[in-house]
Amino acid sequence: MDNLYRLAIVGAGLSSLSAINSGIAREKTILIDYADATGGFLKPALPAPGFETAWDLIESFHMPAGIAACFKTTAVGLLPALAPGEPHTLIARRSEGTVEIHTRRILIACGGLELTREHAQVPGTRPAGVITPMLAHQLLSRGYLPGRRAVIYGDSNYALATSRRLAAAGVKVTHVGLDALLMQILGFPRVEVVRFLRDGQLFDLEADTLIYAAGMMANTHWLKGSGIITKTDGAIEVDGHYQTNISGIFAIGTVTSPSLDHTASIAMGKEVASLLIGGFS
Amino acid sequence: METNIRHVDVLVIGGGVVGCSILRELARYDANVALLERNPDICEGTSKSNSAIVHTGFDAPPGSLEARLLAEARELWPHVIDSLHIPYLQTGALMLAVSDEDLSTIEAEIIPKAQRNGVNLQRLSRDEILENAPYVNPEIVGGVLIEGEGVIDPFWTTRAYCENAVLNGAQVFLEQAVSHITVEAGHIQVRTGGGLNFAATMVINAAGLWADEVAHLAGDASFRLTPRKGQFIIVEEDQGVSQIILPVPNRISKGILVTPIVFGGVLLGPTAEEVSSKSDLSTTAQGLQQIRAGIRKLVPAMVGVPTVRQFAGLRAVSSTGDYIIGPSTVSRRMLHVAGIRSTGLSASPAIGRYVAGLVRDELHLLPRHHFIEVLPEYLANAQPDEGDIVCLCRSITRGEILAAMRSPLPPTTLDGLKRRTGAMLGDCQGNLCMPCLIDLFQQQLGRDPLALNKNVAHSNMVAARISHSVDEPETLEALARERRDGHYG
Repeated sequence: MDNLYRLAIVGAGLSSLSAINSGIAREKTILIDYADATGGFLKPALPAPGFETAWDLIESFHMPAGIAACFKTTAVGLLPALAPGEPHTLIARRSEGTVEIHTRRILIACGGLELTREHAQVPGTRPAGVITPMLAHQLLSRGYLPGRRAVIYGDSNYALATSRRLAAAGVKVTHVGLDALLMQILGFPRVEVVRFLRDGQLFDLEADTLIYAAGMMANTHWLKGSGIITKTDGAIEVDGHYQTNISGIFAIGTVTSPSLDHTASIAMGKEVASLLIGGFS
Repeated sequence: METNIRHVDVLVIGGGVVGCSILRELARYDANVALLERNPDICEGTSKSNSAIVHTGFDAPPGSLEARLLAEARELWPHVIDSLHIPYLQTGALMLAVSDEDLSTIEAEIIPKAQRNGVNLQRLSRDEILENAPYVNPEIVGGVLIEGEGVIDPFWTTRAYCENAVLNGAQVFLEQAVSHITVEAGHIQVRTGGGLNFAATMVINAAGLWADEVAHLAGDASFRLTPRKGQFIIVEEDQGVSQIILPVPNRISKGILVTPIVFGGVLLGPTAEEVSSKSDLSTTAQGLQQIRAGIRKLVPAMVGVPTVRQFAGLRAVSSTGDYIIGPSTVSRRMLHVAGIRSTGLSASPAIGRYVAGLVRDELHLLPRHHFIEVLPEYLANAQPDEGDIVCLCRSITRGEILAAMRSPLPPTTLDGLKRRTGAMLGDCQGNLCMPCLIDLFQQQLGRDPLALNKNVAHSNMVAARISHSVDEPETLEALARERRDGHYG
């Protein structure tokens, strides 16, 4: 990693793969990702109805020659160029330790993490069994049921796909949309009851699991102190060319807009590729 | 039931910060010492859920045992922090007066009491405060600085005491709740729910909130403990706050504070609610609202900051008002160390030394020849090729996880791993990395995922292996119907 790269891409999820497929990277490009393969944070949930394009993109993806793909390599910091003409530096951790990546341009496509009941300050106990779809899918993929009787709270296609997969695995699922307000979690050491308010009426659902699927947040912890401007929700601010406030550093996908769905992320990847290939600098 | 009787010189009941400090101080003597903890890990009670302040004791009741031990602890802390490599920040604390009445309370009560406790307070004007801490409420009228106050990691402290004791030969038995205590001639018999039998020359009752119930098992009803709940909010953005910010206290508690966390972020709280259950750790909408109202008077900008977590802790309030440290009414071989309120962490080095001194005098113990004073650096066990990140939110590496699993007191639960490493404490609350951690528990410690708990028994994260003989179509259809008709549940 001592080379000077033309482009460093942080994240190998949908927006990133789409940008690469659209030719953003030709040579002297490095791609790093926390996971051990391409696909990003959505991958554990796939394949799923409604996510066919995402699945096709991941399944049919071939890493072009000229891209150094480094998995289990996590960006932990970014030092923008000190002067025009100098490279930016990414700090990453991998098994052998901390590495520095020097690069002319950076494309931040590191996605988002799920909100939890803690962000919404839902009162109650803190039992085992209050999880997000990400954890549910990973447990299912390992052959485990996260619970027997789950309440899933959320409206997105992702929440629906999670419901379907849990039901297919043998979990009794009750789906509650965001038109109801999650008021309280009861029970310890496992969840016993989830309390909602809808149309002015409280109602209780018995469950041993609550899948909280109420939304996402941008994965921008690692950018603290970098000088990259983020909005109040933590998402990266970009201009019409997906450029951040720092010249040569771009961002696409969920990291720029936590409510973005997968098709919009894929479209953004295509768009940023055409802009960057077109000589925009 | 195990019939084998384990003979020990001293048996400590309770693996909180107080019990573990006592265990470490006892391990300095040539004696056979052991500790019983009812939970699967140490530090599961009051010691884990508090504001993590190492308190000078400036406001302790002068002349009380509590005030005396807090004063002794002030002298002992630097050496303890150094020997056990405990993360600590001497932040200082700023007490803010928001009214003239507050100012006169500071003059008439706070400063004289602090002087009697040997703690120096520094008066500050409104302008002096705002210059150094521009984030505080501009409506303040003045305040005092308590320079010696600081923050620490309470779990690290408790674990380090315990590991140091284990390195020096102490034994620790987890998931062993005491079920019977019988005072006999020459020893005390202690039986646990896990089926262990001990014959101890002396027993130390350091069972925290449950110390009155442990006393009761021995036939001693001399004191009662009631729980007082404190709710907290954790935020990651510190808004520039680098000191403990506290209001002028009222009669019930020190009030709601803003406290920097030693690893970053800020703690808001606690509430002080008299509750009936010793196990109710739920947060409430009213409690969280009360915290925000309290914080608004101190650091208004902190009110709207997003939170990553809320939690509640329970502290023990004793019927006597002071620490209860001394022999039981049924035997001088049983020592109570109870009613430690909310100052157990702060006073722990001195409580440990004081109690070990009482035991030494009673049993005529001699110092052990080779006491290992210094705990090896915790992360020295991380290997150079384990640097990849497992916990994304907190940048915790595989090496740090494995080091915790190789330590003298390895985690047995996910929460135990969380408190040892910081993994799962970030924004995603472990939803991303927990499966990897479950894998590591299996690979390193042989723990079946189905038998791995979050904390206490029956807090498993995994309910079963997937079996495919399920009523899949029916459930799916029901789901579709529910969505279509708008009926839920």
